[in-house]
Amino acid sequence: MDLLLAQATGDVADLGKAIAFGVGVGLGAVGAGIGIGNIFGSMIQAVARQPELRAELTGIQWLGFALTEAVVFYALLGGLLAFVLV
Amino acid sequence: MIALLAAASDFDPSHEFELHPWIDLQLGPIDLSVNKAVAYLWLGGLVTILFGIWVMRFGLSLRPDRRQTTGESIYELIQGQIAEGNLPRKAIGMWFPYVASLFLFIWILNLVGFIPLPLSDEKWHVLGTEIPTWGIYAATANLSVTLALAFITFFATHVEGIRYNGARRYFKSWIPAGAPKPLLALIVPLEVISQFMRLISLSVRLFANMLAGHMLILVMIGLIFIFSAWWLVPFAVAFGTVIYIFEVAIVVTIQAFVFALLSAIYIGAAIEPEH
Repeated sequence: MDLLLAQATGDVADLGKAIAFGVGVGLGAVGAGIGIGNIFGSMIQAVARQPELRAELTGIQWLGFALTEAVVFYALLGGLLAFVLV
Repeated sequence: MIALLAAASDFDPSHEFELHPWIDLQLGPIDLSVNKAVAYLWLGGLVTILFGIWVMRFGLSLRPDRRQTTGESIYELIQGQIAEGNLPRKAIGMWFPYVASLFLFIWILNLVGFIPLPLSDEKWHVLGTEIPTWGIYAATANLSVTLALAFITFFATHVEGIRYNGARRYFKSWIPAGAPKPLLALIVPLEVISQFMRLISLSVRLFANMLAGHMLILVMIGLIFIFSAWWLVPFAVAFGTVIYIFEVAIVVTIQAFVFALLSAIYIGAAIEPEH
């Protein structure tokens, strides 16, 4: 708590940037979380319906997972850029 | 309180990713200095070569042992999941080696990045000698490395597209068929931009994944020193270990796989565009 107070009494612009960074990355994580949940949910359904397609679907699943997961890191990078540059 | 603030201001996880030149090497305006990332790249390249030789270059038999099965399953993964179905049949002989070495190289670079090695810039003084502290750092957590890899795929894509289809047909294939004429002024710039966005997304995906993985572990351990509280140690170490295992078991392989797979898809789509 002391630490938080000490930071709050510092530069207000820094505080705002920290909040913006946190909110930005958090929102990015929300989107990617929904997306990843969708992918694995659909994968479970697909395998439950047609187990023989599992091997074929696994590759597609991981590709979708990685493409979706990367969204968080775009948010993270954008947040870091805004944090450092602005 | 003072000690707390001093500790907090001292700790900045991004310092871990600063590169200090070990051997200065300036070629005009180009900085070719050898630093930590270059050392990790050399190490990764060496390990990749030795791994390939060890796994596939001698003692192959009809009744495979462990070593041969490992090699064959890696080969099968690349052949079955990445190359086949994405690269057209006429180009698979030429581009399978590229895609396979891309996968192996990135995979090993990522893996080496999670093994603590005495290659850091910080020194530890003992008995009057300087010993580098052990640390983890991945060459792929550096945008220059991943961008260079993405550039190879980028150029390969367009060179192959033009070589197989001719420049006119290839660039025409970027525009979706049947697009109404008035919309072309809007579509053409978008398609051109999207080609360059591939370069960014390909490199930033790998770079940001590895950077975030290392950063998370670092921050988890760093929390102990920021708050300088002993009760935090078990939680921080446990979380750090969980992230470490997640990275090593899943992210490392997935990212190498996706980079190689997307390279194969891009090159394959350039060679045989869907009209």
